[in-house]
Amino acid sequence: MKKWVAGSLSIALMGTMLAACSSNNDKNGESTNTGNGGNNSAEQPAEATTYPIKTDKTLSYWGEINGQLIGVKESHKDIPFFQEWQKKTGVPLEFTEPPTGQVKEAFNVMLASGKLPDMVEYNFIGDFPGGPEKAIQDGYIVKLNDLIDKYAPNLKKYLQDNPDIDKMVKTDSGSYYAFPFIRGDEYLRVFQGPIIRKDWLDELGLPVPETIDDWTAALTAFKEKKGAAAPLTFNSKPRFFNDGGNGAFMGAFGVTRGFYQEDGKVVFGPEQEGYKQYLALFRDWYSKGLIDKNIATADTKSVDSNIASGATGASIGNAGGGIGKWQPLVEAKDPKAVLIGAPYPVLKKGDTPKFGQHNTAYASEGTVAITTQAKDPELAVQMLDYGYSEEGGLFFNFGTEGVSYNMKDGYPTYTDLLLKNPDKLAPAQAISLYARGSYNGPFVQDKRYAEQFFALQTQRDAVTAWQKTDAAKYQLPPITPSPDEASEYAAIMNDINTLIDEMSLKIILGTEPVDAFDKYLDKMKSLNLDRAIEIQQAALDRYNSR
Amino acid sequence: MQMKATFSERVFDVVVYAVLLILIVSTLYPLLYVLFASFSDAGQLVANKGILWHPLGLSFEAYTSVFKNPGITTGYKNTLFILVCGTVLNLIMTALGAYVLSRKDVLWNNLFMGLILLTMFFSGGLIPLYLVVKGVGLLNTLWATIIPFAIGTFNLIIMRTAFKGIPDALEESAKIDGANHFTILFRIIIPLSMPVIAVMILYYAVDKWNGWFYASIFIRSRELFPLQLVLREILIANSTDSMASGASAGDRFQIGETIKYATIMVATVPILCVYPFVQRFFVKGVMVGSVKG
Amino acid sequence: MGKNRVIRDFKLNKLLYLMILPVIAYYIIFHYIPMYGALIAFKDYSPMKGILGSDWVGLKHFHDFFSSYYFTRILKNTLVISLYSLIFEFPAPIILALLINEVRSKTFKRVAQTITYMPYFISLVVICGIITDFTNADGIINRLFMLFGYDGQAMLQKPELFRPIYILSEIWQRIGWESIIYIAALMSIDQEQYEAARIDGATRLKQIFYITLPGILPTITIMFILRMGNMLNVGFEKIILLYNPVTYNTADVISSFVYRKGLLEFGWSYSSAVGLFNSVVNLALLVTANYISRKVNKSSLW
Repeated sequence: MKKWVAGSLSIALMGTMLAACSSNNDKNGESTNTGNGGNNSAEQPAEATTYPIKTDKTLSYWGEINGQLIGVKESHKDIPFFQEWQKKTGVPLEFTEPPTGQVKEAFNVMLASGKLPDMVEYNFIGDFPGGPEKAIQDGYIVKLNDLIDKYAPNLKKYLQDNPDIDKMVKTDSGSYYAFPFIRGDEYLRVFQGPIIRKDWLDELGLPVPETIDDWTAALTAFKEKKGAAAPLTFNSKPRFFNDGGNGAFMGAFGVTRGFYQEDGKVVFGPEQEGYKQYLALFRDWYSKGLIDKNIATADTKSVDSNIASGATGASIGNAGGGIGKWQPLVEAKDPKAVLIGAPYPVLKKGDTPKFGQHNTAYASEGTVAITTQAKDPELAVQMLDYGYSEEGGLFFNFGTEGVSYNMKDGYPTYTDLLLKNPDKLAPAQAISLYARGSYNGPFVQDKRYAEQFFALQTQRDAVTAWQKTDAAKYQLPPITPSPDEASEYAAIMNDINTLIDEMSLKIILGTEPVDAFDKYLDKMKSLNLDRAIEIQQAALDRYNSR
Repeated sequence: MQMKATFSERVFDVVVYAVLLILIVSTLYPLLYVLFASFSDAGQLVANKGILWHPLGLSFEAYTSVFKNPGITTGYKNTLFILVCGTVLNLIMTALGAYVLSRKDVLWNNLFMGLILLTMFFSGGLIPLYLVVKGVGLLNTLWATIIPFAIGTFNLIIMRTAFKGIPDALEESAKIDGANHFTILFRIIIPLSMPVIAVMILYYAVDKWNGWFYASIFIRSRELFPLQLVLREILIANSTDSMASGASAGDRFQIGETIKYATIMVATVPILCVYPFVQRFFVKGVMVGSVKG
Repeated sequence: MGKNRVIRDFKLNKLLYLMILPVIAYYIIFHYIPMYGALIAFKDYSPMKGILGSDWVGLKHFHDFFSSYYFTRILKNTLVISLYSLIFEFPAPIILALLINEVRSKTFKRVAQTITYMPYFISLVVICGIITDFTNADGIINRLFMLFGYDGQAMLQKPELFRPIYILSEIWQRIGWESIIYIAALMSIDQEQYEAARIDGATRLKQIFYITLPGILPTITIMFILRMGNMLNVGFEKIILLYNPVTYNTADVISSFVYRKGLLEFGWSYSSAVGLFNSVVNLALLVTANYISRKVNKSSLW
């Protein structure tokens, strides 16, 4: 009788399973400008390491196996990339892999057991209570500042050349805590936006919609002339604002579902007038049948089938998981069908959208820290610095020359072993066998990976179209509440998020009038929204003064 | 009078059969759905809306992809070991506990019962349990998923209730014949409670079969992963969400959907076969016969 | 005198104590030794400081929970859903067991048992996917309603329909599995009683009420008492798969609320405090149910 599994912790534990799914787009807002900025006064350059390093030590490495390889390889030691990594750096590694989906639990148990490996690959911002600062304070991982100065010339140079990124990869107090995963180009930071049936637009003589009015016209035409039962639909599981909260549609009114900044001040989207206008628009669309009748329960499965069956002509999705997945589906039904990425909508033609999906250059996953129990931290640092060298960058992004890529006119081109794998592995799987370009790790991700990875021209174009927003200017950088404020913040925001999600859907579905919004504003205040903003503001100020 | 009785008997029968038939049809659907979906063509399945009456296209791709996982065979082996050893240990321990706790004249029984009941409500959570398991040296062995779960309190209570229901007269006569408690338990009580013992076997076996969580915490070596943990990894790795941030082309996403169902079939069908076996023990009037004998 | 009793009891029941020794040892080692972990409900747990080393915060987490704006709503929803399930879901497997017991064909009996128990094994995600499919605005249930002239509506977007859908699907998924214990209990009823009743001309309905039901009453009672000790445990998995913000009003329960908070922050201590609160209430309900049952029909847990 499963219900009897006692244990008060089980709620929290099982929760993490689903939490992992939503963490992707859940962040309050993230942004950056890739400043290719000023050269900080260079300190004396560290001595360059020559690879392979000569050593007789074996280091232990704890990290999750990439999901693409589950069922293909059992462990890191069987994966060509990790075999080659040891050879190239000269440092033999001994791997431990936590079970997929149980990384957080396994990590916590490892901490409790008191025995740590030399290196851990883990998300310290997202999945570590109290964040990286606390992990250093409590003596689990090493503060890397001195070690990087002395033994990691490549990373040091990169961070000096990119001060904006440098700010992201350290804590409020200026400590480096891990070898970061960096999305090296704007092109790699945008992957999601509105998607629409181009063939329908052409057939109906409509332009690719740019303004909200264009969208209303297009959706209405889809409904009336193409018989679409759910002209616009998008995944609203596990949260309604999963994909819609980044700025698709509501960005036209200058708001997002979360926090963002204006002139250095933290602003909360749902309490702005623009949010009310967004609700009014969606309410109108819903009542006219332009939005899926089941929108509150729409999951990926129902979105897929709606798009495939031609019940839907527009959605919000990713270049990969959206266009890449749906294009063959719509083609199967209608060979002429084409899905394209539409720009984030605006109110007035010619305006630049204020918001859209945009990830920070620094992603906190795939980062590698060195523990306090490391036998030889210097060696570990030298080994991890490899990924930021020119040679190492090629290796991490593209694998081994002659095997997984060839240089064609100075452009590293994936071989057919990866893109048309003889063992019928999908490109994403095959690449993860030989390189880490398609996911993450301690290196700088190369734009040229994505250019080859997106199989369709429409995917590449979509990314370009979605890129044109001011999101980078307004979104919050990756800030963290201080450990003391974290639980207070969570308690406030849990109530407020519940309130807003409930209000938004009730207004959109027509159960409550648009003017109920004003009533909710008062409630938000009484739930201590101002305190939450204060905590966020303080975190932003600390970030800015890093 | 006679006529009327048979008529109402018939109405009664019709009602019974009709209700059961409706129930059978409606409860059959989920399994059929999973079965059909697992053999469907990935693209067609993703595009499908509404009820699934038959496999859409016919494809074994999902099964091929599940079974090519190197962990499946060892997973089956490990699970079988956990299931057999675990269930045997569970039964012995539960029977011992239930027997003693069903005696009326044991001074400390109420205290024991109270202590045992409390564990249904209060627990220390995962980390302390991990430390204990580590302390007794079970870490990274299959026994770590067996010994710390040697008794299910819920099952203990059910078994105790069943044991209590056995007439005292039987034991009294056995005692007069000089039987000790072990003899009474194994020669009289257990044979008389076979239906409940069978249910216990089912409960425990299903529990062992489905368990993956503690294995994921207590076991590090992949060669020791039970089947459900292996399957869970496949499931998570193939879920659309985990692939969404990547940018792969279509077919990999689509097959994720059928793999989900193939995985469920592989995980479910073997344990479904336990029940018909258990049903053999559901024989009416066991007790009565033996009282007479 | 007390001492004498202890010694006499021990002498008499030596073997019994030996038999239960491994059981008690098991409970002490794997349940009572780790129980200090429950302390984190009163602390701010941090994994590095450990359970004993973390800072005390007293009742802070309990206070946070009770003073949440939504506390009354989630408590009420939890209790209402639990109560509905007690009224509708609890008797369902008993009725099924009785029906199966009345079937004369052995094959049909087996088929009925085996098939009704299968949905229990299908993972919740799939079951909830099927439920969502069926209750969609263009799902099969709505299409049936449309035949009778009703308008199709997305049923899971109606707060008033959430609980019926939740409870009905619970019954659908669990009825067969939960009936097994009653079917087993039916086996021990003295068959001679039925023969006697038949000779007296009792109808089968009467036989059910006067022989069968009383025969399995002890099992029903125990299951009921245990169920009472579970009143506040409405699991979050199915809730979060079926609810959405429009139905929070009737669907949001304690566990789903705590789950959402866990998305914002690692709430080890908080969820432990909530768990402790649930356990205390559950325990109180179980003790009460047991007390009443002992007075009314003599079968009870202790």
